[in-house]
Amino acid sequence: MIPAWMTVREQTVPPRDGGTFVLRSLRSLGGVLARLKIQRGREGRRSLPAVWKLLLLLGMLVLLSVARNPVLLLAVAALVLGRLALLPGPEIWDILKSALAAALLTLLLVLPAMLLRPAGRYNNLILTGKVFLSVTMVNLFNHRTQWNHVTAALRRLHVPGVFVFLLDLTLKFVVGLGTVLQDRLTALQLRSVGRTRHKYRAVGGLLGQTFLRSAELSRETWEAMCCRCFTDDYKGL
Amino acid sequence: MDVHIPENYLSPASCAVMGAAMIPVWVHAVRKTNRTLPKEKLPLLGAGAAFSFLSMMFNVPLPGGTTGHAVGGTLIALLFGPDAACLAVSVALLLQAVIFGDGGILAFGANCFNMAFVLPYLGYAVYRLMVRLFGGEKAGTGARCAAAAIGSYIGLNVAALCAAVEFGLQPMLFRDAAGNALYCPYDLSVAIPAMMIPHLAVAGLVEAAFTVAVFALVRKTAPELTYGQLKSQPEKSGKKHLIPIFALIAVLIAATPLGLLATGTAWGEWGADEIAEVVVNGKALGYTPAGLEKGWSLKVPMPDYSLGGVNEVLAYILSAVIGVALLIILFKLISIPMKGRDSKA
Amino acid sequence: MNLIELEAITFRYQSAEPPVLRDFSMTATAGECLAVEGDNGAGKTTLFRILNGLSFPESGVYRFDGVGIDRAFFKKQAAAKRFHQRIGYLFQNPDVMLFNASVREELAFGPRQLGLAESEVEARVRDCLALFDLEPLADRAPYHLSGGQKKQVALAAVLSLNPEVLILDEPLAGLDRKTRARLLTLLGELRQAGKTMLIATHDPELRDRLADRTLALQAPEG
Repeated sequence: MIPAWMTVREQTVPPRDGGTFVLRSLRSLGGVLARLKIQRGREGRRSLPAVWKLLLLLGMLVLLSVARNPVLLLAVAALVLGRLALLPGPEIWDILKSALAAALLTLLLVLPAMLLRPAGRYNNLILTGKVFLSVTMVNLFNHRTQWNHVTAALRRLHVPGVFVFLLDLTLKFVVGLGTVLQDRLTALQLRSVGRTRHKYRAVGGLLGQTFLRSAELSRETWEAMCCRCFTDDYKGL
Repeated sequence: MDVHIPENYLSPASCAVMGAAMIPVWVHAVRKTNRTLPKEKLPLLGAGAAFSFLSMMFNVPLPGGTTGHAVGGTLIALLFGPDAACLAVSVALLLQAVIFGDGGILAFGANCFNMAFVLPYLGYAVYRLMVRLFGGEKAGTGARCAAAAIGSYIGLNVAALCAAVEFGLQPMLFRDAAGNALYCPYDLSVAIPAMMIPHLAVAGLVEAAFTVAVFALVRKTAPELTYGQLKSQPEKSGKKHLIPIFALIAVLIAATPLGLLATGTAWGEWGADEIAEVVVNGKALGYTPAGLEKGWSLKVPMPDYSLGGVNEVLAYILSAVIGVALLIILFKLISIPMKGRDSKA
Repeated sequence: MNLIELEAITFRYQSAEPPVLRDFSMTATAGECLAVEGDNGAGKTTLFRILNGLSFPESGVYRFDGVGIDRAFFKKQAAAKRFHQRIGYLFQNPDVMLFNASVREELAFGPRQLGLAESEVEARVRDCLALFDLEPLADRAPYHLSGGQKKQVALAAVLSLNPEVLILDEPLAGLDRKTRARLLTLLGELRQAGKTMLIATHDPELRDRLADRTLALQAPEG
């Protein structure tokens, strides 16, 4: 026998509330997962090997960081923007979005300095430009390189196998745990129609559960490794 | 505001120094985890790194409907141990830098120093110290949560202080021939208050609330999963441990007003009439920037925490006072149980 | 002679809880195929964990090929490796079994741990990919795959070690019709090849086509 209140239509109007942290977390999490998943297939057929791309990226970052000559900076800018121009429109926007945001933030940060010390303006603008170019380069790199090719590249650069394996493992867990967290956040969002009074309890619940799952995952993964003949030999990875 | 240092804010030389400083830390952490962690350490570190990564992505609710990010370094140390936390957070930071362009790749060493070294080790040390003060082994969940809150608050603030010092040293060390800053343009007198006030007043509290929320749940549902049981140590070593922590707190308190005072002189240095005289490329600028006449907005270095509408300078000083007051209150709260114990002894 | 022998096994996860298995005994001879059935919570997964040396019973004896398997046995790395090579275990959730950067690496992990020559490793990876038509996925990261694909990769990874005993936890659950049919054929071939198999399943067709006998597990009362 169901209770009487269940037979009539719910009349309560829930109070409005942000609950924005759920939405925002969902958004940033979704961005991460999408980014990790979208990478496959982006790599061009005639793309440079990942090792070269990685070395090129590091070289360019150092160059950019040391550079003071405006011509050199213009050259880097021309190279980076030229490469960017060859990409399809939506991808360009993806890459530029965060670079522009970073540059804008930098500009805001150095604005007081520029106002107070006009002589330093030139350097401050250069700094902003450098930030823009570095973020663009990093974005360009990881938009056009499949992540597991990056770790393979690290292996070829003689980064210890254990470390590379750890990176791969971490990424796997980010996807696994991130998906679980995303589902929980979605469930929370669907159920929280009104004001969430105990926001921090929700945060604790969400991430606490995620931690418990991570402990479980690490144990299970260890067992799966053992079952495939792994013994404590971390050198052979 | 964020503790992540982006690319190009630090000189390549500073990046190299910070990276070099991390090497012995990493070596130590690897050795320690090899000895102390159970044998499934590799997957455990991977899970820890993934957890750390996700924590940094998570938006924590703030009063007033806005949200902020926690770093979670102390939490990871409480759950996985400080050495594993150091490695896990380093891996999380590396992934953030390389895959998401969040925090510089060249600044990776500096970011690790602040968030993977200072934060978890200090946060964990303070937590252990607090637990000992709150009754050692017998400390209940409430006391442990309080200890976790204090540990994470102090840990994050000292990490932010480190970042501020790294920023602030740039204009002192790296200038062009004309004396203009090449990288971060703010010296210590600006960088320290700009970083510390929002962290003392808001970000530290977010970090503490976040840490306690997760830690409490894990302790309640699966206490066996939190790292190590508190080992009871001889009393005298306890006393010894106190000194550096209190010194740190003292420095923290001292640093904030000092930064404020120093900022005052820095403002004086760049008086409006003086700026009109500044020479650029051989000819005088000859005008005063419009923004300066109106008074520049201190909202800018800390956009997330401004008290919108109130006179900025006043807001600046007020929040500084609040920050210092909070710290002193905290300091006094910490010393209550200690006094009690001393009188009993 | 019995290849697998469990004698009066009692197992519980926490000392305060009722046992999952109580006084449980079973045997399997080489080449036999057993369907393991039982309700949820009857201890199928626990049994498999014990057989794989992942959990140890509080009382009772587990002998594999005449050798007692207990904690002390796993102290010797060489023996542990050999043991895990002889028994292949497909987890119920294939996700936890996939921890490498690409499908190819995943299949190479086991053979590499065995210390096989790189050419031999490559040959095995090639054959296992072909067995499931996984070649187009070879360079994909395992976590990008669909549930059914993951299951196949996980099974391929188990087979790359060429184990003589296969312990499969719900191998057909959640697969589409085509994949399921192919897997059934493959399992039949493996049985023909003389592999000993223990398969937890709720699938009557699998039981009827493959199993020599059925092992029914019941949750102990109280």
